[in-house]
Amino acid sequence: MFNFAFNSIYEAIYMNGHGLYVWSVVILVFISLLGFFIGFTVKIKKIKDKLNEPN
Amino acid sequence: MSIIWGLFFTPEDFVQGNSYRIIYLHVPASFLSQTLYLAMAISSITYLIWRVKLAAYLIIAIAPIGAMTTFIALISGSIWGIPTWGTWWQWDARITSTLILFIMYLGLISLHNSFSNHEKADKLLSWLVIVGAVNIPIIKKSVDWWSTLHQSASITLTDKPSIDPVMLYPLMGSIIGFFGLVICLVLLSSKYQILHREKNKSWVKDYV
Repeated sequence: MFNFAFNSIYEAIYMNGHGLYVWSVVILVFISLLGFFIGFTVKIKKIKDKLNEPN
Repeated sequence: MSIIWGLFFTPEDFVQGNSYRIIYLHVPASFLSQTLYLAMAISSITYLIWRVKLAAYLIIAIAPIGAMTTFIALISGSIWGIPTWGTWWQWDARITSTLILFIMYLGLISLHNSFSNHEKADKLLSWLVIVGAVNIPIIKKSVDWWSTLHQSASITLTDKPSIDPVMLYPLMGSIIGFFGLVICLVLLSSKYQILHREKNKSWVKDYV
């Protein structure tokens, strides 16, 4: 069940010509999740800074 | 971990080749796009019946994350369609109803942002979310009700999965993992909504 499905790292990246499709989806998901995580963290920090400002 | 398991340690599919590995991201995203909408619908009912403010905050906290997961589901499906169907887009029932879900998410976010009166916006949004929930069973059943290019469900609650366990276990793992990540995002988004909406309350000032 845990056997590496490819003969080399190159094969794992190329995936018999399907690598472009698979990796573009992986990158899309990674960027989306990271973008949202950073976005919300920055928004929370900004609102906290604003609330901490002396009037 | 499950995505790595699926990408590198599962065998190649006999028909689709390695492109099937997109399943480990496409299926969790699709599953969550619908689950998040249902969570919004439950929050809407809670808000309308019991007037729980937190439920209203949760609706608008979930919406952008739901839009993101639906966007991932649509794009990953389109990319998957190129090597398997020979086309990136088809106006079939499953894909079109998912596109409608994405437009609904964007519409709900825009509508909420266009109101200056938050309470009015929450009320209207809740009603619209409940009405829009009719699209969820349509998405789910579209592959059974209509002849579609999209395949029927491989995993159901009633039948034995039509997918081999070697591929099924990492898929289940990636759904659970994706679910956990999205819950973290929902918590962050909810925290922002609470701070934003309650910023004039004394307890918020004490908290920050």
